Amino acid sequence: FALLLDFKATFFLGRYNDDFDDGEDLAEFDDNDFAEFEDVNEDPTVEVESEPPPKPAPSSIPVEDDEDEATVEIEDGQDEFEDADAQVSDMYSKYDKDEFEGYEKTNSPFKDTLIYQDVPAHLQNSWESYYMEILMVTGLLAYIMNYIIGKNKNSRLAQAWFNSHRELLESNFALVGDDGTSKEATSTGKLNQENEHIYNLWCSGRVCCEGMLIQLKFLKRQDLLNVLARMMRPTCDQVQIKVTLNDEDMDTFVFAVGSRKAMSRLQKEMQDLSEFCGDKPKSGAKYSLPDSLSILSEMAEVSDGVMDSKMVHYITNHADKIESIHFSDQFSGPKVMQEEGQPLKLPETKKTLLFTFNVPGMGNTSPKDMDSLVPLMNMVIYSIDKVKKLRLNREGKLKADRNRARVEENFLKQTHAQRQEAAQTRREEKKRAEKERIMNEEDPERQRRLEEAAQRREQKKLEKKQMKMKQIKVKAM
Amino acid sequence: MLINGINGVFGSLVQARPPAFVCLCSYKPPSTDSNPTLEDPTPDYMNLLGMIFSMCGLMLKLKWCAWIAVYCSFISFANSRSSEDTKQMMSSFMLSISAVVMSYLQNPQPMSPPW
Repeated sequence: FALLLDFKATFFLGRYNDDFDDGEDLAEFDDNDFAEFEDVNEDPTVEVESEPPPKPAPSSIPVEDDEDEATVEIEDGQDEFEDADAQVSDMYSKYDKDEFEGYEKTNSPFKDTLIYQDVPAHLQNSWESYYMEILMVTGLLAYIMNYIIGKNKNSRLAQAWFNSHRELLESNFALVGDDGTSKEATSTGKLNQENEHIYNLWCSGRVCCEGMLIQLKFLKRQDLLNVLARMMRPTCDQVQIKVTLNDEDMDTFVFAVGSRKAMSRLQKEMQDLSEFCGDKPKSGAKYSLPDSLSILSEMAEVSDGVMDSKMVHYITNHADKIESIHFSDQFSGPKVMQEEGQPLKLPETKKTLLFTFNVPGMGNTSPKDMDSLVPLMNMVIYSIDKVKKLRLNREGKLKADRNRARVEENFLKQTHAQRQEAAQTRREEKKRAEKERIMNEEDPERQRRLEEAAQRREQKKLEKKQMKMKQIKVKAM
Repeated sequence: MLINGINGVFGSLVQARPPAFVCLCSYKPPSTDSNPTLEDPTPDYMNLLGMIFSMCGLMLKLKWCAWIAVYCSFISFANSRSSEDTKQMMSSFMLSISAVVMSYLQNPQPMSPPW
């Protein structure tokens, strides 16, 4: 039936095309019912104008992927033809031979303005169109791989460190490795893993010190972002050792030695270094230390006392591994930014020795490098014993005491106004509470008695104040 | 003197000097309230970012938001402390994965690059 329709259409158009032969057409007909129109050169406009329903079909033919869709559309066109049967005949009756003179020249513009659309990606049905997703998943897999590799490397480094230091630690400390979970201090003999890149070890049970906390602060090898950031800015693994001392184990002094950068940073950051070591870091040339190191000290006597020959020997030999060494009896950590209006209390201080060592290798460390840190641990043990024996002479002690008193005074002055306010509010609160108690008393008798007691107390206070004023006046005279 | 100290703890053998008293102190994890500056804020930030991105991806149906959320939760996991509970990690993972899955269920088109 569709073919019949086509016959009708071609019959009307046949007048305009001498090449068009009905008999031949029958034989040439294939699935593509518009094949006859493709051969026509002279009246393509007729085709275009007379075929409003199947217009989209020609545009899809050039696209190779759409052969299926082209046939689908052609079938649609055929359906439309069936419906538009009456319309077509009407249209053809309007067309006159004379109208189409010169139309052949306008043939090409029409063809050129046909826009060949790309098939949208979601219709293509190929995995290639999902390349962004594949990229994302690959990135995630790379991250996971790096996590596993980095975690294992850090773990191996930590184990290597512990194996090379175990003997030394166990011979010096009764308790090696305590994770704080059990009530009593028990030696686990293992590193305590805080993170994928931080390992702790607590040692205790030695004369001269309360305990020693060793933190292995490795690079974040398990985080791919960090690995990429380190390619821009290389940093190294660090070993931080914090020895806390009992009160009788150390005299009163503050001292630090380390790389120049570390010293200037610590002087700004650390509470005690900024208060007690006011001068800029000095060079260690006096003790024949390398130029890369500088010293922060409370007074010259302290530097002389700490920098004995053995210490100098240790530091000079391992200058590249030493980031900072900080001895202090007023250690309270870095400066804490207090909010306004909070009553400030002097931060709690603890006698501490802090050591920060850089692991050689600048990130590309291997487990073998850990052996080179053993002499530094020897230095730590030596320092503990040394600090116990180091005592300032009389002058030094006086100076140190004066310094500490000065710092405390400054602190009290700064917070004087705030402390006064706090005391005032506390007094008001007390009064208010008392008044409320009196009001809440149901028994009128008791109420009266309490009021009287409060009045008597206030009178006594006034009298005391007056007495004090009188005494001060007498003294002044 | 060191050896004397250790022997004093274990209470063995005869030594010329009396054993020194050695105190065994238990490990106290440093409280993070006293020094918040020392704590690494990365896992908390990444957790928060991951949640924000996954909510954006779910609400606004943006696929790239959902993918970034997945990355954020992975980074947060890699940087997390062992003391942090796993429930938080798991919930952030699940949220980001659900954001990705929902975006693709609603719109199976592949993600188009911004260029």
